[in-house]
Amino acid sequence: MPDTTTLLAVFPDLDPAARALDELRTLGIPEEQMNVIAGIPVTEAMLGRPRQWSNVPRLALGGALAGFGVGLFLAVGTPLMYPVYVGGQPLIPVPPSIVVVFEMTMLVMLIATFVGVFLDSAYPSYRPKHYVPEISDGKIGILFHCPAGETQKFTQALIKLGAETVQPAEAQPL
Amino acid sequence: MTAQAQPISHAHEGHHPDPREHLMLDPKPRGEMNAMVMEAMHATSWKFWVVAAFLGLVVLICLFGAWGYMIMEGLGVAGVNRPSYWGIFLVNTVFWIGISHAGTFVSALLRVFKAEFRRPFTRAAELMTTFGLVQAGMSIFMHMGRVWLSYWMFPFPNQRQLWTNFHSPLMWDFLAINTYLLASTMYLFLPLIPDLAMARDRSTGWRKALYRILALGFRGTEGEWTHLRHALGIFAFAILPVMFSVHTIVSWDFAVAMRPGWNSTIFGPYFVIGALHSGIAAVAMVLIVVRATMKNMKYFIRPEHFDALGKLMLIVSMAWAYFFFNDYMVQWYGGDKWTDALLHFHEAGPLGWMWFGMLICNVAIPWLTLWNKKVRTTPGLLFTIGLLINVGMWFERYIIVPISLTINRMPFTWREYVPGIEVPLGIGTLAFFILLYMIASKLVPLVPVWEVQEGQMAHSLRKFGKETVVTVSDLE
Repeated sequence: MPDTTTLLAVFPDLDPAARALDELRTLGIPEEQMNVIAGIPVTEAMLGRPRQWSNVPRLALGGALAGFGVGLFLAVGTPLMYPVYVGGQPLIPVPPSIVVVFEMTMLVMLIATFVGVFLDSAYPSYRPKHYVPEISDGKIGILFHCPAGETQKFTQALIKLGAETVQPAEAQPL
Repeated sequence: MTAQAQPISHAHEGHHPDPREHLMLDPKPRGEMNAMVMEAMHATSWKFWVVAAFLGLVVLICLFGAWGYMIMEGLGVAGVNRPSYWGIFLVNTVFWIGISHAGTFVSALLRVFKAEFRRPFTRAAELMTTFGLVQAGMSIFMHMGRVWLSYWMFPFPNQRQLWTNFHSPLMWDFLAINTYLLASTMYLFLPLIPDLAMARDRSTGWRKALYRILALGFRGTEGEWTHLRHALGIFAFAILPVMFSVHTIVSWDFAVAMRPGWNSTIFGPYFVIGALHSGIAAVAMVLIVVRATMKNMKYFIRPEHFDALGKLMLIVSMAWAYFFFNDYMVQWYGGDKWTDALLHFHEAGPLGWMWFGMLICNVAIPWLTLWNKKVRTTPGLLFTIGLLINVGMWFERYIIVPISLTINRMPFTWREYVPGIEVPLGIGTLAFFILLYMIASKLVPLVPVWEVQEGQMAHSLRKFGKETVVTVSDLE
């Protein structure tokens, strides 16, 4: 693997950042070597970036199915294990069972969604990272790997396109 | 004879309101908005501490002191007795669950429908959900009396050879309230992560350590935003049926009982709309207090927001009146002897003033006032109306619970309910709610700055002929 350097370019706005990404592509940086860091949810389409993969919806679906199973266990399984006839109802009355199954389906689905964000984003992660606090002030950061000997070329190109700073990225404690 | 069209008014000359009245059209640099929100959290006057200390004292005495006393002495110190076994504890449970509905409604439903005015105050409303549910849960535990036996509701094999009956309405309650509490807490936390990261980047000392832990290492990469956006989309849609189910299930605690006044098929939606009535009014009240007492909040919370909330309050008031009349009409027309006796007791009994007070506060006052924009945008007036609506909604729950329990099909058991220790306990929950909110306002960025900035990016002005109108782009 050739020797590479990681640079972090900070832009004041979306438009120069989008142009800079185009320029980086032109200069031969593949998409997977770039990452955009922003204080607002900038969509992939705004920057012409490939669509990001997320497991969150699938985990939510899995959670819903698991919750459905838990609800069935509580509403149907437990009366079979410990049969108690109450209020003239059958052992497994359908309408009250629907309530229990619904609540458990929703609960486990939402827990799975929440946990999904943690799994996909690798939270919590307190190790040092490439970051500058200006990002949360609305700046757009572009983090990319480039050949070690060509940092000057990339820096000049990005400054020309409106980058406020282009610096070698150093992992810092957040 | 020829007819000639006459102009009905003069042209719109010089009648253009300043677009900067709208938060979405009055953007500030993100760094400046961050600094404003951080300053609001940090700036604390001596008045804050005095109020917090007073509320802390009230919580200590009225909530934990009185509750401890009740645990030691038994439920006999409360006013609940035959036939009104459900007293103020359950009134407060229903009331606080109602308050909690507003957070989800404002945040999730308005997010789903892309109502832009929601952006600056979704978090303020979501906090109400979580803290309201805490009070509701505590009120149920108080009502249980022997609170240390609450683990009997958990399903596990035991020596008694008994298993929790999940087909019981009280277990539906247990599941629904816990589902809603967990879901709304998660829904509060997820959109908070970027703001906690912002707070982390601007803090020092113990705050830095706290926000560093809570922000989980968030930087704002494309992946992080994508996962967050997916999760918020799922939550916004999924938490709505959970919200509706909670208060519907609470209403079924009453409606599935064969009691006069309770056994009604419309109780579910009637309870839900009642919850929204009190909840939205409470959101307006909280926002007015936050705006008046916290620094820089006048920028984020504006008359336009009160105007929108006032309209919502008016619409929900109409819906509440519709459901109330449906419930009343069918029961009145049915002609059941005991139901007639109960309805007469509601209106002409010793607490008949409460029944009329409910109608005045929930219907007459909102209808007579909230059609007027001037009233809606005047914080003091809107606060008063919100307070009266909440008083009216508390009356409604009091009428449904202990007053309706007074009249049943066994006249020899009729007895008026007189609350005992429930009163200080109720005051304690109110104080605890306010105290938790005050503490949170100093620890949590109350305004979701990233959502505000996103909204400001999406809004612009566009000219149609001579008219300038606001347009919103769909950025998602």
